Amino acid sequence: MAIIEIYDIIMHYLVYIFADNPFAPWIRGVLGGLVIGAVFGGALVMVYLERKFLGDMQSRIGPNRVGGRFGVLQLIADAIKLFTKEDIIPAKADKWLFIGAPIVALTSGFLMVAVIPFDLLVIKGNEYAVAVSRMDISILYLEAVSGLAIFATFMAGWGSSSKYAVLAAFRNVAKMIGYEIPLGITVISVAVMAHSLDIVEIVEAQSSIWFIIAQPLGFVVFFIALLADVGRIPFDQTEAEEELVAGWATEYSGMRWGLAFFAEYLHAVVGSFIVTLIFLGGWNGLPIVGNLYIPGIFWVIAKTIMVMMLFIWIRAALPRYRIDQVIDIGWKVLIPLALLNLVWSTIIGLWWA
Amino acid sequence: MTHEATQITSPTKPSEILLHLGPQHPLQPGPFLLDLKIEGETIREAELKIGYIHKGMEKVFEDRTYLQILPLTDRICYLASNSNNDVYCRGVEELLGIEPTERAKYLRVLTNELCRLQSHLLGIGEYATDVGFLTMFIYMVREREGVVSLLEAITGSRLNHNYARFGGVANDLPPGYKEMALKTLGELKKQVKSHDEMLSSDSIYLRRTKGVGVLTAKEAGELGVAGPPLRAAGVEYDLRRMEPYLVYDDLDFKVITQTDGDVFSRVKVRLLEILESIYIIEQCLDQMPSGPYKQDVTPYITRPKPGEVYARIEDPRGEMGMYIISDGSDKPYRFRIRGPAFATAQALPPLLVGGYVADVAAIAASMDSCTSEVDR
Repeated sequence: MAIIEIYDIIMHYLVYIFADNPFAPWIRGVLGGLVIGAVFGGALVMVYLERKFLGDMQSRIGPNRVGGRFGVLQLIADAIKLFTKEDIIPAKADKWLFIGAPIVALTSGFLMVAVIPFDLLVIKGNEYAVAVSRMDISILYLEAVSGLAIFATFMAGWGSSSKYAVLAAFRNVAKMIGYEIPLGITVISVAVMAHSLDIVEIVEAQSSIWFIIAQPLGFVVFFIALLADVGRIPFDQTEAEEELVAGWATEYSGMRWGLAFFAEYLHAVVGSFIVTLIFLGGWNGLPIVGNLYIPGIFWVIAKTIMVMMLFIWIRAALPRYRIDQVIDIGWKVLIPLALLNLVWSTIIGLWWA
Repeated sequence: MTHEATQITSPTKPSEILLHLGPQHPLQPGPFLLDLKIEGETIREAELKIGYIHKGMEKVFEDRTYLQILPLTDRICYLASNSNNDVYCRGVEELLGIEPTERAKYLRVLTNELCRLQSHLLGIGEYATDVGFLTMFIYMVREREGVVSLLEAITGSRLNHNYARFGGVANDLPPGYKEMALKTLGELKKQVKSHDEMLSSDSIYLRRTKGVGVLTAKEAGELGVAGPPLRAAGVEYDLRRMEPYLVYDDLDFKVITQTDGDVFSRVKVRLLEILESIYIIEQCLDQMPSGPYKQDVTPYITRPKPGEVYARIEDPRGEMGMYIISDGSDKPYRFRIRGPAFATAQALPPLLVGGYVADVAAIAASMDSCTSEVDR
């Protein structure tokens, strides 16, 4: 097909630009910046989708004034509002912790983006991953870097010297300790089954069967733990409005609050990417399209948006757990299930090998 | 559990902190201060401080003529404005020795039950946001919209209705009202049944609410709590049944009770009462006699004979009573309001002790208190 040929030619030149010429490292740096920008945009898309989709589910309209009927420019209006608002640092706050918290939160999000591959191009036998950086331990790196977000929460909670913020920070730490473990064990199960810690190879290992089918229990555990990790309903105790006002971001205002808020969405988007990559087959397409050639990057983004929709759907459908129940679920339900899944995936993985 | 007004003690251990919920807090329907001494997430002591929006209504009423008081009774609590009008009018009617016309009685029952519907719908909705279920809030407000429109069609306003009059009501039903009402209420019945099903089957919701904030029948009695919180504890206490006023004698309805007295039961009682109120309204529309909707002569300046009266009514939130002493002049000598929300508010601190911070929202909202009425 002509489209495939055109695509291949474009890819050929792209590969020359990004990999085979002496200036490639610098150009790749620019590409990395673009990818980060794209994920940043993805987080914006998620905020918009959330408002619109949640509105539909709750029989409301959602944003409908700024930028035409569908309110597409609402986010820009909000950003302008946040930038022009007064930036208040409470008198009794620990200034550096207070200022540092949103930066740490965003940094953690961006560091995660760095290893997310969007596609794998194989040209003349060479593999080129469409990612800012391809590491051979990228999944471990992701886990480690996502753990940084907890520091941001605690810095914010402690630095604000507000009781609500401190309580929320405590809740968040307790929750994260309980949920990072099942998350980690499930990731190990995936790595065992794929015989690799590299996300690219994990995706390639799913070319015949996606891991959501090979280890459904693992997917469920991972998804629930991820919901808790990114702090969305039913696990949003850290910002439970009716109890703790705005949780650890209570004292924040203006763009500092905007950054904290945005970092949460960034984590949710990156979380959706991880689910797509390690359970939903990444750029491995569905056979329904037949002979039509669809670039892998399309599949990754389409699946990620589906996962984001699932997040929003769950938010619309469920009430919130109490914090002690959350901790109970983490330690008493998810960890045993994650271990069970590890045994299962080890057996299946060995049998396949 | 002691019911003396407990003063909160300052924290002694380093693990304890004092948390001031309020006077401005997203949890609250109006300003009050809830001081909590917490250790971790567990509440050790609780103290409720009210009076931030005290309006001095009883004193104001003593300086107004009887007719001038009528619209002010709306403002005691806007969700129960019809009940407040009605109970005030019945008190004054008793002082005057007149009786509302038969049709007016039916119209008052009709509006009272519509008022109960919209109050319960909003109450459940606010409660749902407090357990993190925003969708249910939006659904409830959507459902409430139809009920408020029904009230607007009769009374002309959506919030402070000011509908009852001495010996009658302000105006008659608009033409075609029955069809309109039956259509809206039929839809509402369907929706409420489905919401009830949703709330009774959601496992997260059940874990949040079953066995939380249990108010036993004995404690409720000691604290003067009536209405849904008392019926949720299994007591069949309903003024509509116990001392039937207006035409509740002629109407068929069940008094809804639950047995547990926890958060879940209180909300369940409200949900089922919505269905029961719809049934009452349907009967009212069927049985309503024709005839005048008000007395021929209602004087502008009313001078009841000296005497005193205590009228009470089953409010959406409990038992609302008004005590009026007349000295023969055109203004009441003494006016006293016994509000249901004050009793439910004072029941709140003992329920919180020993629970979690996260339960504060669920318990407080399930009591369905109203700050405006507490501080009337």
